[in-house]
Amino acid sequence: MADWQIELIKVVFIWAWALIIAVVMTWVERRASAMMQDRLGPNRAGPFGLLQPLADGIKLFTKEDIIPERARKILFVLGPPLFALPAFSAYAVIPFGDKIVIGGKEIILQVSDVNIGFLFILALSAIAVYGLVIGGWASNSKYSILGGLRATAQLISYEVPMGLALLTIVLLDGTFSLREIVLQQQGTFLGFLPNWGFFKQPLGFIIFLVAAYAEANRVPFDLPECESELVTGYHTEYGSMRLGLYLFGEYVNLVTLSAITVCLFFGGWSLPYVDMSKFLGPVSYGIASFFVFFFKQAFFLFLFVWVRWTVPRFRYDQLMGLGWKALIPLGLVNLFITALLVQLTT
Amino acid sequence: MMSGFETIVMYLGMSLLVILMMLGASAFLGPYRPSPEKATTFECGVPLLDPGHKRYSVKYYLVAVLFLVFDLETILIYPLAVKYRAFAALGWGIFFEVFIFVLVLLLGLLYAIKKGAVEWD
Repeated sequence: MADWQIELIKVVFIWAWALIIAVVMTWVERRASAMMQDRLGPNRAGPFGLLQPLADGIKLFTKEDIIPERARKILFVLGPPLFALPAFSAYAVIPFGDKIVIGGKEIILQVSDVNIGFLFILALSAIAVYGLVIGGWASNSKYSILGGLRATAQLISYEVPMGLALLTIVLLDGTFSLREIVLQQQGTFLGFLPNWGFFKQPLGFIIFLVAAYAEANRVPFDLPECESELVTGYHTEYGSMRLGLYLFGEYVNLVTLSAITVCLFFGGWSLPYVDMSKFLGPVSYGIASFFVFFFKQAFFLFLFVWVRWTVPRFRYDQLMGLGWKALIPLGLVNLFITALLVQLTT
Repeated sequence: MMSGFETIVMYLGMSLLVILMMLGASAFLGPYRPSPEKATTFECGVPLLDPGHKRYSVKYYLVAVLFLVFDLETILIYPLAVKYRAFAALGWGIFFEVFIFVLVLLLGLLYAIKKGAVEWD
């Protein structure tokens, strides 16, 4: 097969895979929430309610597209795709496995190992803000506008600590390529710990995790869509698949964020203390690395649900206070300490 | 050999295509029965009380301005972070540059906090 055919197959399959995780995640979230609240959750459609996401999808597809008469029509239509496009595309630079040899060809398990993969994800997450604010503004409803404003202020506030936390990883590893960052986390640190970003940057990891929950609009930072105040926030006026794009985009964001967490702080596809490539064949090694990455990712996806039913929602002033008064100064100090440590060890 | 960006463009194209297909399928499969009631703006159980576009807190604007400063800072410091090890090998000069840069930012942030730019009441 020609190179471009392999690339095309990879694009289609990986795209579908990222979305399948997101679809299953909607089911996991509802079932796990039910479990934690001592109720059953969706259990009618298919075994254990596994077909529930499909049923929800069909329902969204067959609903009427309503554009409120007071809405700004063009922007109203533009909002959801503008949010979903970056969300769906961020998975393009995630290395979700090492490499696999098929038919004598070595294929890396990643859509594209560009040398600025890191910046690509940050850029996309910045673009997604426009989808929220345009959708909220164009709806011309007070709930939507307040939701959109809150979402914008929250997302841009937490983008800064997130950038500062990720900066320390770049400082340590000296590259923007996510694959190379993962490769540098093999082996051990201080002789007994896995050489993971988590152990080298514990403070950076905590800042990143808090900022990630705020970026994903998840509890305890779900103020842009908190039901008790704003109906559903910026997508109050949306229905049908336009609403579907917003909801689904958020779940794909969770998948991407947990994948980034694994890549940067938990050694990606590598197992601690064990080098799988030594005793596995080229094909089985590829598959094994894929599953290692997937299980790590699944843990962080589950953590999103777990935190949701553990921590209560913040107040808006607390949210802004945490971002600007705690996380950003901490991030700057952490950056300074990391620079000092790198300087001392070079 | 591909440099990698063609594939990313393909990936973006794939996302765009599926999004358009989803919206198209929804428009095709869904019913179309417009009524003036459906087209009204949502309000909790009563007729529309007040317009959506009204004055909102200036704090949102302040946060956006603050964000611009810190976002620019991130952009400036990223290239430095990538090459930090190479410069660190040459001596302590680069460390003091980072130190002064971060210090100025931190002081600016403390000033903004002191002035109450991120206080919500």
